[in-house]
Amino acid sequence: MSKAQEFEPKIVAYVCNWCTYLGADLAGTARLEYPPNVRIIRLPCTGRIDFNLIIKALEVGADGVLVSGCHPGDCHYTAGNYHARRRWILFRELLDTLGIDLRRIQFTWISAAEGRKWQQVVTEFTDQTRKLGPYKELYATGPFPDVPAPETASPGVKSFAAESELREVCGKLLAEGTVKVVIGYGARGPVVVTRAEDAERLVWNNRCFSNLTAYLKRKEIKSLGKAAVIVKPCDEKSLVELEKEAQFERKDAHVIGMACEGVDQPKCAHCTARTPRFADVTLGVEAGPEPQTSPSPNRFAALMAMPPAERMAFWTEEFNRCVKCYACRQVCPMCYCERCIVDKNRPIAIDPAPSTKGNFAWHIARAFHLAGRCVGCGECSRACPAGIDLALLNISLHIAAQKNFGYEAGIDPKAEPVIGSYTLHDTEAFIR
Amino acid sequence: MSRIGVFTCWCGENIARTVDVDEVAKRVAELPGVRCSLNYKYMCSDPGQAIVREKIATEKLDGVVVASCSPHMHLKTFRKAAQAAGLNPYLVEMANIREQCSWVHHDRVQATAKAFEIIRLSVEKARNDAALQPIRVPVTRRALVIGGGVAGIQAALDIADAGHEVVMVEREPSIGGKMAGLSETFPTLDCSQCILTPRMVEVGQHPRIKLYSYSEVEKVEGFVGNFRITIRQKARYVDVSKCTGCGECWIICPLKRNPSEFDYGMGMRPAIYIPFPQAVPARPVIDKSQCAKLIRNGCGLCEKKCKAEAINFKDEDRLVEEAVGAVVVATGYKLYSIAKSQPKATLAGYGEYGYGKYKDVIDSLQFERLVSASGPTGGVLKRPSDGAIPKSVVFISCVGSRDNAKGLPYCSKICCMYTAKHTMLYKHKVHDGQAHVFYMDIRAGGKGYDEFVRRAIEQDGAQYYRGRVSKITQEGGKLVVRGADTLAGMPVTIEADLVVLAAAMRPADGIEELAQKLNIGCDEFGFLLESHPKLRPVETNTAGIFIAGACHSPKDIPEAVAQASAAASKVQVMLAADELTREPEIAAINEQTCAACFTCIRTCPYHAIDRAELRTPRGAFIKNTARVNPGLCMGCGTCVSVCPSKSADLQGFTDQQVYAMVESLA
Repeated sequence: MSKAQEFEPKIVAYVCNWCTYLGADLAGTARLEYPPNVRIIRLPCTGRIDFNLIIKALEVGADGVLVSGCHPGDCHYTAGNYHARRRWILFRELLDTLGIDLRRIQFTWISAAEGRKWQQVVTEFTDQTRKLGPYKELYATGPFPDVPAPETASPGVKSFAAESELREVCGKLLAEGTVKVVIGYGARGPVVVTRAEDAERLVWNNRCFSNLTAYLKRKEIKSLGKAAVIVKPCDEKSLVELEKEAQFERKDAHVIGMACEGVDQPKCAHCTARTPRFADVTLGVEAGPEPQTSPSPNRFAALMAMPPAERMAFWTEEFNRCVKCYACRQVCPMCYCERCIVDKNRPIAIDPAPSTKGNFAWHIARAFHLAGRCVGCGECSRACPAGIDLALLNISLHIAAQKNFGYEAGIDPKAEPVIGSYTLHDTEAFIR
Repeated sequence: MSRIGVFTCWCGENIARTVDVDEVAKRVAELPGVRCSLNYKYMCSDPGQAIVREKIATEKLDGVVVASCSPHMHLKTFRKAAQAAGLNPYLVEMANIREQCSWVHHDRVQATAKAFEIIRLSVEKARNDAALQPIRVPVTRRALVIGGGVAGIQAALDIADAGHEVVMVEREPSIGGKMAGLSETFPTLDCSQCILTPRMVEVGQHPRIKLYSYSEVEKVEGFVGNFRITIRQKARYVDVSKCTGCGECWIICPLKRNPSEFDYGMGMRPAIYIPFPQAVPARPVIDKSQCAKLIRNGCGLCEKKCKAEAINFKDEDRLVEEAVGAVVVATGYKLYSIAKSQPKATLAGYGEYGYGKYKDVIDSLQFERLVSASGPTGGVLKRPSDGAIPKSVVFISCVGSRDNAKGLPYCSKICCMYTAKHTMLYKHKVHDGQAHVFYMDIRAGGKGYDEFVRRAIEQDGAQYYRGRVSKITQEGGKLVVRGADTLAGMPVTIEADLVVLAAAMRPADGIEELAQKLNIGCDEFGFLLESHPKLRPVETNTAGIFIAGACHSPKDIPEAVAQASAAASKVQVMLAADELTREPEIAAINEQTCAACFTCIRTCPYHAIDRAELRTPRGAFIKNTARVNPGLCMGCGTCVSVCPSKSADLQGFTDQQVYAMVESLA
């Protein structure tokens, strides 16, 4: 092959202003030659390097992305690189789950004195990317493998014993004026009850799978006055996280906890939360089948057993079905921004059209925004009209947060959230 | 911005040799938004800058891209040039085609192609630039000095002598710090109090120094140039404005057997006391844990005796607020607690040396008091147990220092010197006595320091053993010190009358809490962190807060004084102007779209973001929001990355700009 025909990769480098940018300058001053493929984008700090930018670089056709900043302890802004490192740890796990080739994204620490390291990193990364070839596997074109879905039985409606007690309690709360509104389950899905006599509409049965805490964020419900919300032990976890994020104050809601017998959802098979922990009142008795003890959900294990390219193909097909209805966002108790990132139009970080690229960018952003926050209610998967198993992505971040930081969302009200905190000992095995 | 001028520099041959500057300029001229594109041999030269200024005027440019060297080299130069021509300086961008292109590539075709892409990227950034105004912050031209030891005194006097008001906060009843209690100082053996007390008096009488003794910093609010400090004045039970310092009260007080803090328990003081005769202010305090009147409404003799009617048993802590523009932290040190029990789990004591168990095992500051002319023994060295004059004294250095097992790996720096001093002071007082010193290494770097140690050994006959002491036991009236002389390769056993432990220096109590209030960093041992170990040794990472003395690391007096003067000069620079100008490239939050999750507040390394409420002009509540304090924000942009709704953005590196740059590479 002649030189002109040889593939030349496009490399985008996001570097911090104070260490790596100066390191690259030093390489120039010392006349250290390296391949001309890299395009440097200077930002003040690695803390400023948003994960969306990495996706954007791949979208514009980068074959490799380099992210580099100050060594730990050297940050010009004291801690920006520690916050960045923590996000990268989680983000890499998400990318891996999606089947994005991690060899195409290189994280490094390069100081202002390390002109030679800059030369080495750029040279080796360019050579490696050149050998990998153009990043064709991104947004695969098929064949599309499948991951067997768990069997979802659709048994008939089976009312639980506590149903009448629930109606009684809610009716009383409304009649006495303790609360102005009850968010509960009706025969056809969630209902909002404001009159005592309507408490009869409430049901408690094996079809009560919605996470009703998602309705607490609604302005029109807030405007009605103090609300009572019916939660299962699993839903209750979202209240813990919402309180940490100042979205919910315990005194503003009356929490009616239901001891749970399982609501015939895939998640119920592994569920160990059977009794509410923080409720104002708990109704019913816990029952239902013993939880299965297998540590991780099988479908996720099957996905991760595939090679990355197959995972990419799997997700490409899944995301191709997405119609960008945003049901996953609306139903999520943790998605409460009044203006979602996807609705911001200057700049357009995520293509709002239901295109392959736009769908990938959206689902990556949705999943990563839930990193260390998702309580695993599975409502996103259940609500998706296209049947995309979105909870699989959340699981990858859930496991990553647990593995790397010992954090499980919704369990400990005092534990520091994963994003926005760091330790000096966060892993950096993947950072060159 | 749609009228951008691009100026490509040859840098002599530095760029032009590998980059075809004519070709680049020609292609750049075709880019959207570019009004004119030209090249010149030396863009940074006077004529080069003149071209930029002229084109800004004639072409009515609303943006400038200079394609030349690194922005770290000449961004300021071209911003100034643009400003001179009437263009907002923040509408100037640089495309680095020298350090990051022509100097690192040899292939002319490739380098030219890359240079074009670098410029296109910068043009995209410039097209999305906003005209920013430097942030002007008014400055309160007063300074706070926390700590009234020798470092704090030096800093306060320097700043006050330069014409600025100083507020000094000292938590003890008197200023003077550790130095006031020292006997003589190395390497000159001049009397510590003779040097220090005139400076203390100067502080007390200075028209521009406001002294809060027996007070602590309660709360710190605000930001550089505009701090609001809440000071807790602890209840003194003596009205300082009435008290004349006559001393009748502490003479009459019947409760005289309280261990003196100033003498480290080597001497006694009454329940109403001044710490030492030269105290500033020379006004007593009542120790409420000892006073019979305050405990059980008894006694009250001092109140009856006081002609000035200054005693006030109903006194309470008072909070006062002071506004200052800058802060110097000079909180000093304490000695490593050598007793068996330790305040921190990471530290281990020296139970084997029997401190606290044997009365005649003392630490170095206690020894200072025992040999001080103003000390409890009037300068006659008497050992604590029976008042006998010790004929054999063992000094052990590195007690706690350089000892990973005990939790302090660092060298305390001054112990080698003061131990040599101690042996000399001892020999000068007890001519027939013998001083023994166990040491690990002798570190005597400093003017006249090594000569001083040699004098202790050669003239004053101190016996030095290189080795550690393993155990001290009491046998009869003697302390039996068992150690090793590793140079001789032999065990050593010495029967001593007194043992002095050179305990490690640690930062003063409460330093972590104070650092948290000030939002400055501590290292793992609690010493305060400087902004840069070489180039910014007295600054902290919070603008407007400076450090001096042993709160930063173990230091001797000359170093502490030098650092205090350095911190004071930094403060003077800050206070020299009515206003501070800060770079406007800081974060801002779109309060309309902010979801109020406050992740940014947790993330911000500078605590520059606060919770706030958005209200209508009439004051009705609309929503909660996060809000950036422009006085504190340093512009790292970490908040931008963690903001889920992308309501946070960073001026100068907005999302709009960064996305435009990336998309130019498509």
